[in-house]
Amino acid sequence: MNDYIPWQAEIVDIDIESPNTYLISLKPLEDVDFSYKPGQFVMVSVFGLGECPISITSSPTREALQLCVRRAGRITSGIMDSRVGDVLGIRGPCGNGFPLERMKRDILIAGGGSGFATLRSLINYIVDRRSDFGEVAVAYGARTTRDLYFMQEYKSWQQSGVEVGITVDIGDESWKGNVGLVTSLMDKFRLPPGSAAICGPPVMINAVASKLMERGFDHSEIYVSMERHMKCGVGKCEHCNIGPYHTCQDGPVFSYDKVKSVL
Amino acid sequence: MKVLLPKRNLHLLLEALDHRMEVVAPIRAEGVPVFASWRGQPLALASNPLIPPQEFLLPQRDVLFRYVQDCGRYTFEKVSAKPRLIFGIRPCDLKAVAVLDRIFGKDPLDNPYFDRRRSTVLVGLNCLWPEPGCSCAAFGAGPEVDELSDLQLTDLGKNYLVETGSPAGVLILREHPEFFIEASEKDQAEKKKALRIAGEKLRGGTSPSVIKAAIEKADWDALGRQCLRCGGCTFVCPICHCFTIIDVGVPDGERLRCRDTCILSGFSRMTSGVNPRKSQGERLRNWFLDKFEYIPENIGLLGCVGCGRCSRSCLAEIDRQKLEVLR
Repeated sequence: MNDYIPWQAEIVDIDIESPNTYLISLKPLEDVDFSYKPGQFVMVSVFGLGECPISITSSPTREALQLCVRRAGRITSGIMDSRVGDVLGIRGPCGNGFPLERMKRDILIAGGGSGFATLRSLINYIVDRRSDFGEVAVAYGARTTRDLYFMQEYKSWQQSGVEVGITVDIGDESWKGNVGLVTSLMDKFRLPPGSAAICGPPVMINAVASKLMERGFDHSEIYVSMERHMKCGVGKCEHCNIGPYHTCQDGPVFSYDKVKSVL
Repeated sequence: MKVLLPKRNLHLLLEALDHRMEVVAPIRAEGVPVFASWRGQPLALASNPLIPPQEFLLPQRDVLFRYVQDCGRYTFEKVSAKPRLIFGIRPCDLKAVAVLDRIFGKDPLDNPYFDRRRSTVLVGLNCLWPEPGCSCAAFGAGPEVDELSDLQLTDLGKNYLVETGSPAGVLILREHPEFFIEASEKDQAEKKKALRIAGEKLRGGTSPSVIKAAIEKADWDALGRQCLRCGGCTFVCPICHCFTIIDVGVPDGERLRCRDTCILSGFSRMTSGVNPRKSQGERLRNWFLDKFEYIPENIGLLGCVGCGRCSRSCLAEIDRQKLEVLR
């Protein structure tokens, strides 16, 4: 049952990930039954401005609920102009999340730009349940070094045996790493064909998916987190439909074979 | 239960019902029939209003809740639905309510919709006067009321034959016996005859299979260029239910649900400016596919009842049955 009434969460911490992206930690003010899966999202309210979908950036294996918010429009600006101690309204979790119970143990995770925010939930989940998974590799690309998120965490991922490749479109003098597309990182990975989780711009998703299929990944094992305009989050308002699917209910995670015609 | 309601008693019955709930009925406003709050005006039952009664289940301005701020924390107030009776709903619009019930009833159930739905009594009117462009019969949505309504009326000349469809309908007959007289087998036969004649008038109209075939063949670019992007077809459709949600008021205010339309370009456009349905042709195609493929796939009922309102209201004269540009 759905009343559209959010619960309230207090902002307890704000980290700056990039000049226009904050990582916001929240603590529910009420005793709410809130359990979620990597890949799900919440509808976030700034009362007076409205409500928008934000993917959950934290892993359910850790205590804090974290949202990575990029200044994009009216409501995200409202969220980012909030201060520690302010409250946001939350509805959710919404959507299906990554089908961890169905996915193979060897997983490639590929993120482009702000799409990486939702994948951090999955990566930290895997890191915390490392023995449940096999070979895991992360390929992440951002526009410039200033746009790279979660830099302080790459080392801990590597220490848990996750292969991490980072690339930027435009390098600078301080950057010793890879410059180029996300796909250019993937040749180095020794990962056997397994499952994949991708989030990023459509061009990047297609490029990564075709590379994976060349390497023997099945298109139904490539999971893509899709972005759509959303209003209700419960499959009624029709803003987010992809054919017969409602991205907010049947997605945002779809297997590549279901959505490649719209990418 | 079957009884007769003499036509001279109809106003008296509505007046009696008006004491305990808002009565909505087709009346004339500025010369055209509309469903509106009834205040004793003459009823306009000869043709189905262009704006469907769905306005009273999914209003243009629907308060989802009120938010009240105190020291940076909020409390929320729900708005409860008022009892209402909608009189004179045609079978096509009743069928559309059945479709909306399934869409809004699909998990997670939409509580604001069902709050209003549960406090609404529906009085159906069997459709003996199909109009040009009506094709309910081929869509399984008329001319006879076959579901949902609490009371069903059939115009038999001097009287209405009244049949009950729910306990709420039975209650109305029991509470107001003074307005009704006994019905006979003859009245039942008369109803059947009238509906048979109406059914014959509906023969030869369009059908879902005709439209499905047209969707396959249509030149969507051409239709998109012809479309004036007024959204009229979606606002007169009894099944269209696209909505947006906005906040009005700082620091206290209301979160509103307002009708929206998927055939306008801003509907699917994301904050980044990227729009998954870039052209008007793609948006029109999505609208048709939703009704004839996506809604059936999701809830098992067609997303169109053949009421013909979209064709009648199309300023660009797009023939929605053949999906051709007419001029």
